[in-house]
Amino acid sequence: MIRFENIGLRYGLGPEVLRDVDFHLVPGSFHFLTGPSGAGKTSLLRMLFMSLRPSRGLIHLFGQNCSDLSSPARADLRRRIGIVFQDFRLLDHLTTWENVALPLRVFGKSEASYRDDVTDLLKWVGLGARMTAYPEVLSGGEKQRAAIARAVIGKPELLLADEPTGNVDPAMANRLLRLFIELNRLGTSVIIATHDFQLMDQCDAPRLVLHEGHLEIR
Amino acid sequence: MKVTWKFDDLPGRLAGRIRTSPWVAVVRGLAGGQTGPGSTPIVQPASVAGRALTVVIAIMTFLACLTSGAVYVVNQSANDWFADIASEITVQVSEGQGSEFEKKVTLVSLFLAKQPGIQKVNPLSAEESGQLLEPWLGGSDVLSELPVPRLIAVVIDRSSPPDLDAVREALESNFKGVTLDDHRRWQAELRTVTRSLVLGGIAVLMLVGAATVASIVSATKSAMASNREIIEVLHFVGARERFIAHEFEKHFLNIGVRAGLVGALGATIVFLLLPVTMRLLSGRGLAAAELRQFIGSAVLDWPGYLLFGLVVIVVATLCMLTSRFGVYRILKSYD
Repeated sequence: MIRFENIGLRYGLGPEVLRDVDFHLVPGSFHFLTGPSGAGKTSLLRMLFMSLRPSRGLIHLFGQNCSDLSSPARADLRRRIGIVFQDFRLLDHLTTWENVALPLRVFGKSEASYRDDVTDLLKWVGLGARMTAYPEVLSGGEKQRAAIARAVIGKPELLLADEPTGNVDPAMANRLLRLFIELNRLGTSVIIATHDFQLMDQCDAPRLVLHEGHLEIR
Repeated sequence: MKVTWKFDDLPGRLAGRIRTSPWVAVVRGLAGGQTGPGSTPIVQPASVAGRALTVVIAIMTFLACLTSGAVYVVNQSANDWFADIASEITVQVSEGQGSEFEKKVTLVSLFLAKQPGIQKVNPLSAEESGQLLEPWLGGSDVLSELPVPRLIAVVIDRSSPPDLDAVREALESNFKGVTLDDHRRWQAELRTVTRSLVLGGIAVLMLVGAATVASIVSATKSAMASNREIIEVLHFVGARERFIAHEFEKHFLNIGVRAGLVGALGATIVFLLLPVTMRLLSGRGLAAAELRQFIGSAVLDWPGYLLFGLVVIVVATLCMLTSRFGVYRILKSYD
């Protein structure tokens, strides 16, 4: 499903921040991506999401070589991936319901075809009572759940989450982890970038550890 | 590589293109219909940058419409002067007194009326000739004592004009003290003046046009910068470049059309009120007559107002294209 071959990444003329990264993830897997701050977790996620090109090496996603894809083909591939940002990236002028429905609207589906799905998902993540609220009145945990709901509404095959518990208390972090595990059980591959060891200790999942530009799987 | 063209589906594809065109969405919106699927537009309809852009567009469209309207009016007036002057010649009868003089004027008029290519001969009476001098000499009785020459206004057929040199020669050989003025010198001077006016107007129009383009492009770019987050989110949820560009085109075209219409409406009101204002400010004296002579009645006809519509379309298209290039530039930074 995901194959990184001899990946290296440098910004401009600076030193390589990622060196010789090689790994292969199978469908339905659950991984944590960890390492100290500045180790390159977000850069790796961005490469997985095709918003950053590696300086060298090859990335294969869903059996396709990402380096020679056209712009529409990359957009099509992105539709198979859900991403949860650390800073949520909800659109302030849209309600929670509209934010969650955004990917389906972008895919060109009619509102009638996804109205019930969005409502059910929001109830499932505990935001049933906040569907018409705008992001500015949501709490950090609510925003995070709305961002997760938006990432999974399109039934992605791969879910990437960048520090999804960075802005919430331990109880909420635990609840969000259960949500990711539940999604994984439903068939979605999950990669969670975090440096929260307490969170990782709650789940027996392999860890992709970045250290001094190299990656190892523990 | 072999290129194959699919003409079978051409009407369908064309209809699809028209249906999804940002212009259709904007026209639907103006008519009170829904502009697209979903309850809230993806691009934030009201923002501080958007409002600033609206004001800039409205003002610049107003100025562009005023300038283009003014150039159009001057050009129309210049054309009218030419048409008037080119279709008229003047014959001056200057020697003679009493009934002999009146007889001479009548004979000259009859002679002129017989010439081919002359449509109408209008000999001015002594009073009418005197009135022409009133602005310079006043309305005193002294005019009746002066040997004021008599004028005969002659309207010529512009489609088959007479041989003016032959007419002049015939007049001079048949009548003493009769001269023909074909306004050639006056026409040449007028042509120079009006051409200068129109060229000057076009130069001002180009300057206003350049200022309009620069300020609208700049304001649209600023408004686009404030929408960067929306572009980013759409990109990350899997929107294609064309979809994102289309959403922004729709939004900025809408702003361009609405603000442009406000500016054009302002300019229309100015041009509708201009003739009345000119009458009120200049009164009915000589100054008013000279002003009217110079710029005509300052009434804009319908092709002139159509020009305003063209200005709105150009301004709105400019907004739309700037937003499209802005979207592609931002998206390029992600790939």
